[in-house]
Amino acid sequence: MESRVLDGNAAGGLLLELFGVELTAAPCVCSGCGAREEIARLDVYVDCPGVVIRCRHCHNVMLTIVRGPERTWVDLRGTRGLEL
Amino acid sequence: MRTLGLEVDGWDSHRAGQHLDVRLTAEDGYQAQRSYSIASAPADPLEITVERLDDGEVSPYLVDDVGDGDAFEVRGPIGGYFVWDGDEPEPVLLVAGGSGVVPLMAMARHRARVGATAPMRLLYSSRTWDDVIYRDELESLGIEVVHTLTRGQPPGWTGYTRRIDDDLLREVAFPASDGPRVYVCGSTRFVDAAADGLVRLGYYPRSIRTERFGATG
Repeated sequence: MESRVLDGNAAGGLLLELFGVELTAAPCVCSGCGAREEIARLDVYVDCPGVVIRCRHCHNVMLTIVRGPERTWVDLRGTRGLEL
Repeated sequence: MRTLGLEVDGWDSHRAGQHLDVRLTAEDGYQAQRSYSIASAPADPLEITVERLDDGEVSPYLVDDVGDGDAFEVRGPIGGYFVWDGDEPEPVLLVAGGSGVVPLMAMARHRARVGATAPMRLLYSSRTWDDVIYRDELESLGIEVVHTLTRGQPPGWTGYTRRIDDDLLREVAFPASDGPRVYVCGSTRFVDAAADGLVRLGYYPRSIRTERFGATG
C-alpha cells in the first residue's frame, strides 16, 4: 500500500498531546537543507508504524514519533530548530 | 454526510479552520482515532460534519449509529496555522475539494457571524450537485460561491464542469496583486494542484495555507 502523504495539520493533535502546546504554526528548520517552514507545511506520513514528518523541499526526515503502550519515542535528529 | 453537535466538557472555543480528533474505544480496548474539521463558527455551538466512508472505522459509527446523549472521546481544538480569525482586511479565497469545504465553511460562517468586511470567495469542486455540502446555506452567507461539478451536472447547468486548472483559477481567483489570503482544503492531489496553480498565477506561496484531508474513515 502506498503511504498517504498528508501535512503537519494532521499531526497537530498528537503534537498537542505530547508537548502540551499547539505546534502546527511553529516554524521548524530542516537539518538537511535549512528550509524553515511551519509544521503545517511539512509532509506527514501516517501509514507507517508511527508518524514520520519530512521536509517538503529535500524530503529529509525531520521528526518521527512512535507510540508504544506505555511510552512514546520522539526522534528530532532531522530538525535543527523549532520556534515556539 | 451528517452534521453532529457536540458538547465537550471544558471546551472553551475554537478558531475558524481548526479540527478536533475523535477517539473511539471498543469493549476489548481497541482504539480508533480520526480528525474532523469543525464546521461551526467560533461563536456558535460546536458542530462537526462527517463524511461516511464505507470501509471506515469511525465515520460509519458517527454517521449511522451515534445518537443524542452518546459519549465519546474528543481532543482539541487543534491547529494554529490553517485558521482565519476574521480581523484581517485582505480578500480571502477559499478553495474546497469535496468534504474539504468543512473548515472553510467555518470561516464563511465566522465572517457572517462577526460581520467581517473582507471580501470572501469560495471555489468549490464537487462531483455532482447532490454532493455539494451546505448547498443552500452557502448562498445566504454573503460570499461569492463558484461551483465546479466534475462528474455530472443537473440539466441546464451553465457553471464549470472540470477539475480545477490554471485557466479556471485565473478566472475565479482574486488578482494576485490584491494580496489575498488563501485557504485550500481537500485531498492531497487536489490541494497540491490548486496551490501549484495559484503560485503559477503569481500568488506568493506563503499566502496559501493548505490542509490535506486524509480519507482515513
